[in-house]
Amino acid sequence: MQYSRGKQGVPKMTTIKDGNSSRRDFLKLAAGAAAFGPYFLFPERARATQQTLKIAKWAHFLPEYDQWFVNALAKDWGQKNDTNVTVDIIPVEQIRDRAFAEVKAGKGHDLFIFPWPSAEFCRHVIDHGEIYQAVASRVGAIQQLAHRSTFDFQTKKYFGFTDFWIPSPVHFFQDYWGQIGMPLGPGHYGSLLGGGKQIRDKFGAPCGLAFSPTLEGNVTLHTILYAFRALILDENGNVAFNKNVFAKVALKYLQDLYQQSGTPEQLTWGSAGNVRAMLAHKTSCSINGISLLRTAEKESPETAKKMRLQPPLIGRNGMGITALPHVTNCSAIWSFAQNQEGAKKFAGDLVDSSRAGYEQSKGCNLPVYPKTLPDFVLRIEKDPTADPPYKYAEIQDALHWTPNLGVPGVTTPAYMEIFNSSVVPRMVARVLKGEQSAEDAAAAGAAEMQRIADKWKQIGA
Amino acid sequence: MAAAALASAQSFTPINPPPCDFSDQFYADNGIVTGQLVQRFGDNNGTTRLTGPPATGSQHNYVADSNCSVTDPTRRNFRILATTGGNSDDNNSPFTCADLGPSASPGCVNQPSVPETLEYISILAFLHSEAAFETSYTRNVGSINGGLDGVQQNPGENISIVNSANPRGIRMEDVIGHFEAYAHIHQKLSNGTFALNPCAADMVSSLAPATPCFSVADQNGVSDVATPNLAMNWRFATNRNAMDGSDGNCINNTDQNCKHKTQSDSPYGYFCDDLLGAWIITYFWFTKPANTTDSVCAPVFANMAAQNGKDLDGYPNILTAHELNDELEANGCGAEGQEAVDGTDGGAVWLICPAIPDPRNGAIATDAFLDHVATGSFLDTFISSNFTCLKNNGKFCSESAPEQ
Repeated sequence: MQYSRGKQGVPKMTTIKDGNSSRRDFLKLAAGAAAFGPYFLFPERARATQQTLKIAKWAHFLPEYDQWFVNALAKDWGQKNDTNVTVDIIPVEQIRDRAFAEVKAGKGHDLFIFPWPSAEFCRHVIDHGEIYQAVASRVGAIQQLAHRSTFDFQTKKYFGFTDFWIPSPVHFFQDYWGQIGMPLGPGHYGSLLGGGKQIRDKFGAPCGLAFSPTLEGNVTLHTILYAFRALILDENGNVAFNKNVFAKVALKYLQDLYQQSGTPEQLTWGSAGNVRAMLAHKTSCSINGISLLRTAEKESPETAKKMRLQPPLIGRNGMGITALPHVTNCSAIWSFAQNQEGAKKFAGDLVDSSRAGYEQSKGCNLPVYPKTLPDFVLRIEKDPTADPPYKYAEIQDALHWTPNLGVPGVTTPAYMEIFNSSVVPRMVARVLKGEQSAEDAAAAGAAEMQRIADKWKQIGA
Repeated sequence: MAAAALASAQSFTPINPPPCDFSDQFYADNGIVTGQLVQRFGDNNGTTRLTGPPATGSQHNYVADSNCSVTDPTRRNFRILATTGGNSDDNNSPFTCADLGPSASPGCVNQPSVPETLEYISILAFLHSEAAFETSYTRNVGSINGGLDGVQQNPGENISIVNSANPRGIRMEDVIGHFEAYAHIHQKLSNGTFALNPCAADMVSSLAPATPCFSVADQNGVSDVATPNLAMNWRFATNRNAMDGSDGNCINNTDQNCKHKTQSDSPYGYFCDDLLGAWIITYFWFTKPANTTDSVCAPVFANMAAQNGKDLDGYPNILTAHELNDELEANGCGAEGQEAVDGTDGGAVWLICPAIPDPRNGAIATDAFLDHVATGSFLDTFISSNFTCLKNNGKFCSESAPEQ
């Protein structure tokens, strides 16, 4: 695939320079507030002939990654491609609304980077298949997690491009779990229930899984439903929820878990609330990307030392060890984007910085293309920051236990609307608050899922 | 009994050695604290579980055999006679009646439409808590100090467990967690009623009353999953994946052929990573009485019983994951769970029970006996007849039939 480099088609010499004011602005914002959604604006001194590439990107859990993304990656790319690049960092909880606003207005950024598959916007984006084809010669064929997360089987087009993802291992405090005879962690959902109860009873530290309508809550609850075989949609995209007893059983398990080992805060935590509770050593475990442990290493090494990882808990009903991805980084190029060619090239070139991205994200961002980080296993076996250094080896097989959002099918618009509109956390909350029985909540949740699925069928997506 | 004696008693030349217990060193090398092995065959100078379940009467479960460690240095000199037969849960065993058409081999006649697959294992010991997993261990192997007149020096290699992880950074508990063995304990109580949940708070299914319950704790020194406590045969998810993917399993996520799969296959192969042949036990049970008239479960039970026969409690035999997950559990007629990893439920959480890689050509010795639950109809026949064929002829019945 050929990308144009601007209307003139002539590569330019470096033109991006940081003006003092914008540089200062960036640093000021980056210093403490990336997680709260600063607006980063990058070089302004564009020539009349120079292309502009406007990027919106979800705010990474580690602000230093976004600083690198803006300051180094985007800047360097702009210099090499004679393009004035702007990057807006948008809080995760706002990114969906911002995307809808741009679609409604028919204008906005050229490239929109989501922390989840952009299926909901499939009608408003270009086919990203050519990006996958373009990078294949450099890094190999598309990998299954990316394929299943971004391929639209209706149109046979890719509605996004995925270059990295973040797995969702169990984080637990070995000091708590060791004192109840589970030093290696709960292992399976039965012991999570029994062990979590013991720890809360003995030490007052509740189990800290997020159940709130946040990214963390959605990933955690969708993971648990899937681990109990309570499928949302089947492999053909039809609503499967509450078509058997698995949904009710999963909801009752969550009810037991909450009542016996939880805390009301699980239902009200805002974005990263489960992370802050763990950082304060107030909860005994959580399910999250490893940004949780990385943040602990930075802010509270002693707390981090007590924290351990373990692969997902063994599921029920034949599901084995499995957890949905915490993040599926997905670049989407609007069909109304002003600079589609630049956006395609930028998105495809992201794979070339997969290694740097892995490093700058402190190992959170696992490249979709293994060839870009061939020494991954060696790195996580001897992590320079971890104590002990092999702590992260628990995620070395994460690609084996991480299916795509929407499993057993591919990621669909209906599934992502169910995910992003927090149908599951709201359904679970009604049970945990005693507002509905598990049976009634499952029925109501299924009805809501059906309405969403029907809507998308009518749309034809 | 020595291997030579066994050879002379069989009508074929033994190639595959019969199973023996692992050596202490091999357990330790693989991250297991030998002192935490529960009811290990051969312990206490060859007296632990010498008799008793699965053996009956004065029958012995194992025998001292000095050839064990000679044939395989990872083994100790107790050869296992008790050979447990069961089904491969994931249909992944090579020993199957997959072809049921006109050319079906004689041993597969009258098999169910879902092919029954075989595994033979040796239940060497049980693990009851995470304390069984080594946290720290080092052994140096291969060091040479002063060979060739003092010239040769080699520091050797360390086999190590550091904070419970092996040199690859993998914890044995994680490896074992990928292999599930399915056990079904008796649910029919002595008074004839059915207990519909286990006696373990963290395992109770919301689909049935918590009481009366069936015990999942060892009783009087007998494992909760000892054969007399089981109502049907074991099923094992053996996952015989090849490390290199040569059997078509997806080990490489960049493989074009794998991109349509929801996940890669297990990162661990049973015979390549789980060197002790251990499993985590997934207990499963029925949430309705065997004689239920429930409009959903009664037909489910009846249909499966017609296909697979009944177990000792009158429940249908479960041969496959599909039957358990999609027919029984999906309809609310069954449930499953594991015991607490701190051991508080009192029974076995994990098993050390290596599958015999290839039970042909001598692996089933002439003095071995079959440990299996005596259930009805063909299930027994398939397991037991093949055991007899293997023992006498060194072949599966379907292989040896032409000569019979």
